Amino acid sequence: MTELINFVTVSLILVGIGIYGLVVKRNAIRMIFAIEIIANAANLNLIAFSRYLGDIQGQIFALFAIAIAAAEVAVGLAIIIIAYRLYKDIDVAAYKFLRG
Amino acid sequence: MIDISSTPIIIIILLGSVGLAIPIIDAYKKEKGKNKNKLFSAITFGTLMLALLIVISRVIGGELLPAMSFGKDVLADDMFGSFFAVSLLIVSIMVSASSWNYMKGISNSASYYSLILLSTIGMILIAYSTDFVMLFIAWELMSIPTYALAAFSKKDPISNEAAIKYFMFGAFSSSILVLAIGFVYAVTGTTNIGDSITILAELSAPNQTADHNLGGVIPISYLAIGLFIAGFGFKMGLVPFHMWLPDAYEGAPTTIGALLAAGTKKAGFAAAIRVIVLGMFAIGLDWSIVLAILAVITMTVGNFGALIQKSVPRMMAYSSVAQAGYMMIGLALAPYASSALDGSLFHILNHAVMKSASFLAIAAVAIALASYSLEKYTGLGRKMPITAIALSISLLALAGVPPLNGFWSKLVLFQSAIDSGTVISWGPYLAIAGLLNSALSLGYYLWIIKKMYLDESGDMSRVKEPKAIICVLVFAIIFMVGFGIWHAPLLEFASISVPSHIDQIAPSFGNITNN
Repeated sequence: MTELINFVTVSLILVGIGIYGLVVKRNAIRMIFAIEIIANAANLNLIAFSRYLGDIQGQIFALFAIAIAAAEVAVGLAIIIIAYRLYKDIDVAAYKFLRG
Repeated sequence: MIDISSTPIIIIILLGSVGLAIPIIDAYKKEKGKNKNKLFSAITFGTLMLALLIVISRVIGGELLPAMSFGKDVLADDMFGSFFAVSLLIVSIMVSASSWNYMKGISNSASYYSLILLSTIGMILIAYSTDFVMLFIAWELMSIPTYALAAFSKKDPISNEAAIKYFMFGAFSSSILVLAIGFVYAVTGTTNIGDSITILAELSAPNQTADHNLGGVIPISYLAIGLFIAGFGFKMGLVPFHMWLPDAYEGAPTTIGALLAAGTKKAGFAAAIRVIVLGMFAIGLDWSIVLAILAVITMTVGNFGALIQKSVPRMMAYSSVAQAGYMMIGLALAPYASSALDGSLFHILNHAVMKSASFLAIAAVAIALASYSLEKYTGLGRKMPITAIALSISLLALAGVPPLNGFWSKLVLFQSAIDSGTVISWGPYLAIAGLLNSALSLGYYLWIIKKMYLDESGDMSRVKEPKAIICVLVFAIIFMVGFGIWHAPLLEFASISVPSHIDQIAPSFGNITNN
């Protein structure tokens, strides 16, 4: 039980770091990293619970989640590359055509 | 194993094979060098039509499982999923037909239509899925193509900015969903939605507290429900999570704006009804007040936001935030009034048509006049008569003016809110908030209509209207007026798609609702 709580604590700290990064950082790549940290914290959570319950389902779900997160980040990086071509910058504070 | 001839599997095979075949056809026909937009638009339109006919024939044939079945499989071929499949396929058909005109000059038309088809599969599978793993994969299959579609105009900085904002919030919301699913899995030890709901209901039933050490379990499941509301709320456009939405809907190509506003938002509601509504009422009915507060805040913020906009797509984006608030009334009152979820589903189908019609009318204006600004809509009633009449009817339907379909779904929703007053004291206030907001929303809807018909501008000569979009808009007018006059079949379809009483989902609900 204490082992499980250690894993969950680490995962919640990682979620906190991820949300901090998403809110404070203005560099698009850093924001993607922050989202990845949250996604991997969630996966760590799933694997810890799966191990604790002695049930394989959670680990299978974590594998699916990792594969899908990779596809998601590929699309995100492609969008950021287009942004770099348009603005020569990946600072999201520079993107302000849409306001109101 | 799930049956190979069930509706979701047929839809996956049909749409998926065509969606993957389109880029291959494109690669083989490359040497001819001419734009193949029309060919792919026709293929996509035909495929989606075929899928819609299959789903409707299954519904009429009556061979589907009853509303919201939860089996051991990952997909259930039930009425609830079919209802959402019909509404989402209508949206995709309208979008792909309009792209005949709107996407005329683009270079990568093959990937555009392929992504629309793949995203449509994802949206439909969300409504059919009965397992969290399937739900999450369908969620991502819906989301990832729409990130690429939002950024489709590569030379356009506004489209790119919209896509970045949409991607950041979308990816964040899917991470939140994995976290929420993890906590539910921790409490229940299963990823099957039906089983998790039953286990949660058993755990929180008051007479069993002595048997289990529940000290840590109930707070965790509360946390999971909160994370689910946040995760789905990003796509549904509920108010604390709506900040990306006007930017994304305005900046994305307008046909994709229609797909996002009318399609992905509805899929979010499908997931929310399957998971949050049932799961949270298994834990405790106190949660419904949270949804009620979210509903009132969402519709108020959406309507006030729309009042001050100068760009019409942005106004429509805020209006779709407000409409999400009306749909939330049904979710919040689901355990108290039997017709609440019927009203929500009815409004979801109506909103799918109304909102895509208004976005596609905006796309037609953008093609003809190359502007999204409200100032350019002056005198549109003479310049583009069919577009103007379709936009006016869809705006009036969104406001809920009597002879149109939007009126009936709002009537069912507000009626259920008033009926619930005998069970729960705050129920009728939702109807009052909804009525006041409908009146407020007429403020900006009528403003656009006044601009189009009453204001004079210098040049009033007729402009050529794009033909494919006109066909779509005529269909939308027939739908909105026809089902406004004769709304019974849609309402009946909605009411057989949800369980008539919440006890029918899990037997253990009986104990909770009676307490």
